[in-house]
Amino acid sequence: MTKKSLLFVIAGIGILLAALPILGHHSFAAQYDRSKPITLKGTVSKVEWMNPHIYFYVDVKDDAERVTNWAIEGGAPSMLYRNGWRIDSLKVGDTVTVEGWLAKDGSNLANMRTATLVDGKTVFGASSGGDSR
Amino acid sequence: MKVLFSAAIALALVSSSPAQTPSLQKPPNLAGAWRVPYTPNLADALGRQPPYTPYGAERWRTVDTAKDPTGTCLPPGPSRVLTSPFPFIIVQQENMIALLFEYQTIWRAIYMDGRKHPADIADYPEFMGHSIGRWEGDTLVVDTVAINARTWLDTAGHEHSPKLHLTERFRKVSEDKIEWTATFEDPVFYVRPWSITRTFTKFDDSKDQDRILPYTCTENNRDVQHLMPNQPNLNYKYEPERQ
Repeated sequence: MTKKSLLFVIAGIGILLAALPILGHHSFAAQYDRSKPITLKGTVSKVEWMNPHIYFYVDVKDDAERVTNWAIEGGAPSMLYRNGWRIDSLKVGDTVTVEGWLAKDGSNLANMRTATLVDGKTVFGASSGGDSR
Repeated sequence: MKVLFSAAIALALVSSSPAQTPSLQKPPNLAGAWRVPYTPNLADALGRQPPYTPYGAERWRTVDTAKDPTGTCLPPGPSRVLTSPFPFIIVQQENMIALLFEYQTIWRAIYMDGRKHPADIADYPEFMGHSIGRWEGDTLVVDTVAINARTWLDTAGHEHSPKLHLTERFRKVSEDKIEWTATFEDPVFYVRPWSITRTFTKFDDSKDQDRILPYTCTENNRDVQHLMPNQPNLNYKYEPERQ
């Protein structure tokens, strides 16, 4: 790892730590299950850079090559902006790995803790999981 | 010589008296954009659970966080907005202090002209309450009543009754810090008043950060269908073109 890329990772972790506890306009606990973490890797199919929380959608292939479209909920655009996101940080067609938590209702929905692009250049965190209950 | 001495004393008294008389002091300037520490559960800030009445304890035990009023984009209430993770701007004038919040794009007007709360205000509650303020030395003291009981005190689900009386103290402890103490008095939910203290930090105005950004809760509130499947969601059918 070069010095520059190491710095990038460190900056990414810093952004992640800064973003983790700050987002959320209502209860994370009502909608998501903190005991059900999930990692999803796939291709971004749609991005909704909108309030109150951003959503984006990822086509995820399973071992049998079946594709499932997942909805990913992030934080508010304003807070993401302050934490370094820009409107083109995540684009349709990008490969992304999302770590987060599953929705309680069993739908293909997750709350994002981090999103990592395939080149490793971008690591962002944004979750309403700052909720302590 | 005696005359000179008397004149010197008189001059000293005149020049020093404004500084010694708090009522003549110019109030501190609170204006600017301020960062708020997110406090989703006030019990964490308090260090323990608030002093519930039996009724308050039962409400806390049975609260359903899926029914968080902000989930349907209702205003957060006067104190929760100051413990949510979004910045706000203070506009300060002699007769009014206005708080402009990024969260929910809402405001609070604090009347500083000596008026009282309207006599019939309890019959017309406001989501953000009715606030009057005064200076006690260097501290802004804000008295708020008629806070709509549909609001919650925090994300965790601490509730209150229409009798909630909120007293806040804003004190500038340094050029870039305001210490904010909120005292909650509500005999229906809590046996005695209790207080939390948070510190707001001023944005660095050299980095184009001293501003509030758009927040329009109803724009794409997809959470509603998960939280309250039976509630109509005006925006859920929104489908932006596939990019």
